[in-house]
Amino acid sequence: MKTSLRLLLATLVPAAAALLSGCERPPIETVQTGYRGTGMEQIYNPRTLLKQASLNQAPVAAEAASADGPKAKDVYQNVQVLGDLSVAQFNRHMASITQWVAPDAGCAYCHNVENFAEDAKYTKVVARRMIQMTQRVNQDWKPHVAETGVTCYTCHRGNNIPANVWFAPKDRKYANNSVMGDLAGQNLASKSVGLTSLPFDPFTPYLKDAAPIRVNGDTAMVLRGDAVNRSSTKQAEHTYGLMVHMSESLGVNCTYCHNTRNFASWEESRPQRVTAWHGIRMARDLNNDYMTPLTDTFPANRLGPKGDVAKVNCTTCHQGAYKPLYGAAMAKDYPELQALAKP
Amino acid sequence: MSMLSFERKYRVRGGTLVGGDLFDFWVGPFYVGFFGVTTLFFALAGTMMILWGAAMGPTWNIWQINIAPPDISYGLRFAPMTEGGLWQLITVCAIGSFVSWALREVEICRKLGMGLHVPVAFGMAILAYVSLQVIRPVLMGAWGHAFPYGIYSHLDWVSNTAYQYLHFHYNPWHMIAASLFFATVLALSMHGGLVLSATNPGRGEAVKSPEHEDTFFRDLIGYSVGTLGIHRLGLFLALAGVWFGIVCIVVSGPFWTGAWPEWWSWWLNMPIWRS
Amino acid sequence: MAEYQNLFTSVQPVGPLHDGVALPRGDDKRLGTPFLVHLLGRIGNAQIGPIYLGTLGVASLLFGTLAFNIIGFNMLASVDWSPIELIRQLFWLALEPPPPAYGLSIPPLAQGGWWLIVGFMLTVSILLWWTRTYRRARQLGLGTHVAWAYAAAIWLYLVCGFFRPIMMGSWSEAVPFGIFPHLDWVSALSLRYGNLFYNPFHALSIVFLYGSVLLFAMHGATILAVSRFGGEREIEQIVDRGTASERAALFWRWTMGFNATMESIHRWAWWFAVLCPLVGGVGILLTGTVVDNWYLWSVKHHVVPAYPLVSPTVLDPAILGAKP
Repeated sequence: MKTSLRLLLATLVPAAAALLSGCERPPIETVQTGYRGTGMEQIYNPRTLLKQASLNQAPVAAEAASADGPKAKDVYQNVQVLGDLSVAQFNRHMASITQWVAPDAGCAYCHNVENFAEDAKYTKVVARRMIQMTQRVNQDWKPHVAETGVTCYTCHRGNNIPANVWFAPKDRKYANNSVMGDLAGQNLASKSVGLTSLPFDPFTPYLKDAAPIRVNGDTAMVLRGDAVNRSSTKQAEHTYGLMVHMSESLGVNCTYCHNTRNFASWEESRPQRVTAWHGIRMARDLNNDYMTPLTDTFPANRLGPKGDVAKVNCTTCHQGAYKPLYGAAMAKDYPELQALAKP
Repeated sequence: MSMLSFERKYRVRGGTLVGGDLFDFWVGPFYVGFFGVTTLFFALAGTMMILWGAAMGPTWNIWQINIAPPDISYGLRFAPMTEGGLWQLITVCAIGSFVSWALREVEICRKLGMGLHVPVAFGMAILAYVSLQVIRPVLMGAWGHAFPYGIYSHLDWVSNTAYQYLHFHYNPWHMIAASLFFATVLALSMHGGLVLSATNPGRGEAVKSPEHEDTFFRDLIGYSVGTLGIHRLGLFLALAGVWFGIVCIVVSGPFWTGAWPEWWSWWLNMPIWRS
Repeated sequence: MAEYQNLFTSVQPVGPLHDGVALPRGDDKRLGTPFLVHLLGRIGNAQIGPIYLGTLGVASLLFGTLAFNIIGFNMLASVDWSPIELIRQLFWLALEPPPPAYGLSIPPLAQGGWWLIVGFMLTVSILLWWTRTYRRARQLGLGTHVAWAYAAAIWLYLVCGFFRPIMMGSWSEAVPFGIFPHLDWVSALSLRYGNLFYNPFHALSIVFLYGSVLLFAMHGATILAVSRFGGEREIEQIVDRGTASERAALFWRWTMGFNATMESIHRWAWWFAVLCPLVGGVGILLTGTVVDNWYLWSVKHHVVPAYPLVSPTVLDPAILGAKP
């Protein structure tokens, strides 16, 4: 063929291959979530779903242990939580935790195996508090976790540290010495906000602090005086970043909760939005009452670049599924995780 | 008659694709032709069905009338009339009338001894409509993915469809299409302005020449595309804009199910700079 | 059917290059020796140059280049001066306006100060360039239609970056300089103000945007279709109507019942193109200053369609007294 045609093909074919390399293919699955023709749909690639499903299997629950016999707190020393379980139930729980959080390191990850009662390792102190945190979620956050609940596995999935936790982002290397290049907390390609250039820390203001998420007013016209809606366009970017995070964490899109023609309206939203509302409050509760107080318990190598403790966001539990583990009910086999002990 | 002063000599027989002399006549200023008849048929039938659909709905407020496609659960089947079937028939009539219009334009071009550029350009617009209402829904397995017929309701569909991908602005083909659309509007303002500036030069000035047009743009930006070139450029920018618009929406769903910002990870993770 | 469609020029006659219509006294000499590019000649004119660079042009380029460089260096600084990261993350980088806390006051250089400087310099550059388009036309004895079309675009630019932020009392409302970041601004504006699709000026502006694309496709195609009759010689056709204009007009008259003339089509073109940014700028200017929520505004004006509810009723948990 002619040289110019050959040259054209030589440039176009690799270019097309590069552009198309990120592509998927039909057939795809869709789920309609609104009235027909409104475009409210969830879109799934069945091949991706299959892979996701295989990564979100709940482990088989350990066989239930007998409640007979002396209580764990009467037999073992320094049992501050789960003391009212029988020894058998207590040991079953410890075996499960090991499988969920430290399958390779085993008991030694938390315990001094010469003296199990000792609190020498920080991991034991943390684990104790985390058991309480799990109980708190299952007991007081039913508006979010319903009867499905959570166990340690929901976040940890066999890892010492959950695969998805967040820290306050580190500053630029020359942030303090430079009069140029201020990021204003955004404008970098950030995984935390789905590779957009939206503000890359939606977690500190909304999942730790209680900054207002809503930016829309409820009147058509701009009001004056006290009633004015003071939210800025910039604030909308911050909220948008949080919403991108939530969507990516659950593997859903905006129409899962909203009719985007009127994001603010609860009447036009789906019930899932209420569940998400509670989820945000739950994350704040866990970060402020459980994680942040543990900051000094962790060694430096477990803290973030600013010295803060690892914290939870939506991805920590959901990990790309609209319900963690696609709704597998693990907690029902571990009644000891379903309520905080009475003081 | 409604003929222009020079029109009579152009009203000759011939140029038809179908039907010979049977429909080769004018009604007022409109040329009929076989495809004028089919256009009329499809357009009337489609309009009647739109009116029927509006009557079935809760309002005659023109901004609020909405005729929706079937639920996705109907797949690619024909739905009951009150459950989206009407929408399906209207779509058939729309395609019928658009294609008829294009073929009628072909007949008119042939009669006037013109090139077929206009109906071909219109074909790109028809392709855009067919891509949105037929090709993409078929690739996704249901008519319910198409947009509804309603002034504001079709915008609700655009909003929700875009947010299915979290941030549609990051769709690279959408970026190209939007850039081409804005380039078209820019080029149109420049071309319209240039021709008018040469033929309406202001008080006391004589009408200018193409040399003045070229000189103006060479003085301004160092290059003038010229009288023929600007029409090629304008047609190209407009059609390329529509083409990439077609690509950007046909890809969304059938060939990309995730968030569009995530598509860019291939660039960020290229081996040359993977940290 | 191997009919030539006049999409690409197959034969390019080459002769002495045109130095341009003579300029009146008071203007500088033109810059550069014109040269030909054959590939360009397949689409339009092959000649590149000469260019006119007078005081206005040089000043405009100076301010513009300075603005461009300040943006670029701030982007480079934001990735810790790594040129590789600059290229890798180019589309994500930006120069941001000041944060909302500063209102309309002059912020520190590092927190929006550079943006203000760039905004000022870019605006000066754009206005100088506008004056250039006006002057070049006047010096050649042309009408100033191109300049006034450009003015419509400048209107939209100033609305987004200057007038509206001032009316809102905050520079932070303005658009950042950056590829993806300015798109984030577009989305954020729509999210904050209740869905811009329900802003009637936005809708009208889109009508003119799509209408311009439609019109240029129509006009470009029409002229190419009658280029065999010399249709592209539009000035000649306007003052002395030939068969090209006649056939072009009749094509549209027979198709849709009415038609333009060779001159008036350019008025349709100019107005459609100009009304896009003009009307759009009005719509942006009203957003947040007069109207706080375009969806609710549209409800008030009875244009919002109703859909049957398919989900169970949802109530706002915050006002239900649920745990905050």
